[in-house]
Amino acid sequence: MSEEQTSQSNGLPSKKVLGLFALAMINVAAVLSIRNFPSMAVYGWSCIGWYIIGAVMFLIPISLAGAELATGWPQGGGVYAWVKQAFGEKGGFTALFCEWSNNLVWFPTVLSFIASTLAFALTPELANSPWYMFSVMMIAFWGTTAIAYFGEEISTKFSNVGVILGSIIPSVLIILLGVWWMSSGAAIVLPPFTLAAIVPTINFSTLPFFATIVLLFAGMEMAGFHALETKNPQRDFPKAMALSAIIIVVCTVLATLAIAMVIPADQLNLASGVMQAIEYFFTAAGVPWLVAPMAVLITLGGVVSLAAWLIGPAKGLGIVAEEGNMPPLFDKTNKYGAPVAVLLIQALIGSLISLLYVFLPSVNQAYWILSAMTVELLCIVYVLVFASVIKLRYSQPNTLRPFKIPGGMIGIWFVGGLGMFGTLFAFVVGLMPPSYFTTNGFVYVGSVLLGTFLLAVPPLIFLKFKKASWCKPAGGVR
Amino acid sequence: MSTYTRLEFGLSIFLVILFLIPVGVIIFVAEESPFHQVSGEPVNEAVLATGITVTSVKDTTWNLPGAIGGKIYVLTDNTGEIVTVSTQSFDSGEAREAAIRLYNAHPVGHGKPVGSLVVLGQHLVYVTPANSNILARLAPELKKKVLP
Repeated sequence: MSEEQTSQSNGLPSKKVLGLFALAMINVAAVLSIRNFPSMAVYGWSCIGWYIIGAVMFLIPISLAGAELATGWPQGGGVYAWVKQAFGEKGGFTALFCEWSNNLVWFPTVLSFIASTLAFALTPELANSPWYMFSVMMIAFWGTTAIAYFGEEISTKFSNVGVILGSIIPSVLIILLGVWWMSSGAAIVLPPFTLAAIVPTINFSTLPFFATIVLLFAGMEMAGFHALETKNPQRDFPKAMALSAIIIVVCTVLATLAIAMVIPADQLNLASGVMQAIEYFFTAAGVPWLVAPMAVLITLGGVVSLAAWLIGPAKGLGIVAEEGNMPPLFDKTNKYGAPVAVLLIQALIGSLISLLYVFLPSVNQAYWILSAMTVELLCIVYVLVFASVIKLRYSQPNTLRPFKIPGGMIGIWFVGGLGMFGTLFAFVVGLMPPSYFTTNGFVYVGSVLLGTFLLAVPPLIFLKFKKASWCKPAGGVR
Repeated sequence: MSTYTRLEFGLSIFLVILFLIPVGVIIFVAEESPFHQVSGEPVNEAVLATGITVTSVKDTTWNLPGAIGGKIYVLTDNTGEIVTVSTQSFDSGEAREAAIRLYNAHPVGHGKPVGSLVVLGQHLVYVTPANSNILARLAPELKKKVLP
């Protein structure tokens, strides 16, 4: 692999190791999740309609906006660099911090998924043991952090191999089994296809699900965090966005339909763990021996997804610290260019939250509220990104953008407006508590908003206490 | 080697604490659902008490360790709304907690899990969709069974 080197702001060399394929795989790792398929398969044909809503209101706008921003401002930091250009340091730091803090609450979820899926390959009863769960969660979490420690080159290789083995191959396998199922003449549990069947039911009951769907494709901006290590960001970002979006949509829609055609909806209860659905699916298809290898592959897919979300925002926060917006304690990079201090603090906080998640009994309602907070935090990030892509057309009209959202100002308002509307709407309906909630509505909404505020406000505090000594002089030595 | 000021250490510790505050407060505010034996079929009793129509009932056992059986109810009301309620009993608190963790480990994307999970003693009650008038009507009856 040919490598170029440029200097980072800290003076350390930044290896240009990422090409089109690697960038696309970062996005695929962040977004494509087999975990979603059984949950969406419950909706039968109408899952197509829900996916279309997610694509139109979020996936397409964020891909276009991300491509324009990444090619116009290919500095490191991803959403931080983009939003900073439009709304200054406060805006950029807030957007990035919301993405980072959303992760810290989300990590126990994906870690728990990894541990329970691996248990399925070993002995499913293991998932009942909090000690097994916590041990595997910590091995996955700190192991992924260790991979991030060794810098972009190692984590890219891990991501490329992992996403193919853990996300794309299992998805393709599910699709092929679905095709085989149809062609073998076996019973299809879905009713006959009609155009009306793909229209989702949208009413008061399904509004909260709308928020979930809008953010189904969250993570498409993840490649932007790796701009400093990209060989030719202005050429590769738009292509990577398009390639990853196509892989994600094709795998997601077809694999979901394959599951929906084979497994009766009432067998997909409890958002039936993905492995329970896979076991039913593969047993029905006559290949039960594939269940355990699939569990291992899907576990790997979970780890790769964790890695994508763990590394990207941490790199962004490392750049914020490098620019002197956080105390020097956070601005520690190693010889591989990895932001070790941020990675370590992230791992510590994530471990503490995971500890509470696994060992505290009856965390169901509490974790629901925390999940609601992660939705709100992500909405803040994307509202700021969409607002930035619009504002920058006015404030920096002459900045060269190798990729521009087509249609001039109408196009930018249409795409940015659609994305902003989708995420604002998701923010509002994300505050609706489920009908069954033993905590009253005001406490629920208050808890979610207060928690979101607390997790979004640190940038303003850091900037308030910012000292001149936090900034590095030219040359990178403080 | 840099030396860090009290302010820098203070801000770092503040950052860690800031994450633990909302998590801790929410865990404290959210009500517990201890594992205990609930007699009868709580969903069926709640349905009878509220006059909601049961369209169909069938037995089910979730493919989870410690799951010992339950029912799938399809419910409807006079507005035509349809809700699917799947119940399951567990033989131990550990098995029930594992099922709760599994549910929370399956959000769609970076969002929330599909449906709503209600914890009643040894039972888990999974309702889709999460928001409905039917579930709102059942909730007061079901809540009577949350605590021993």
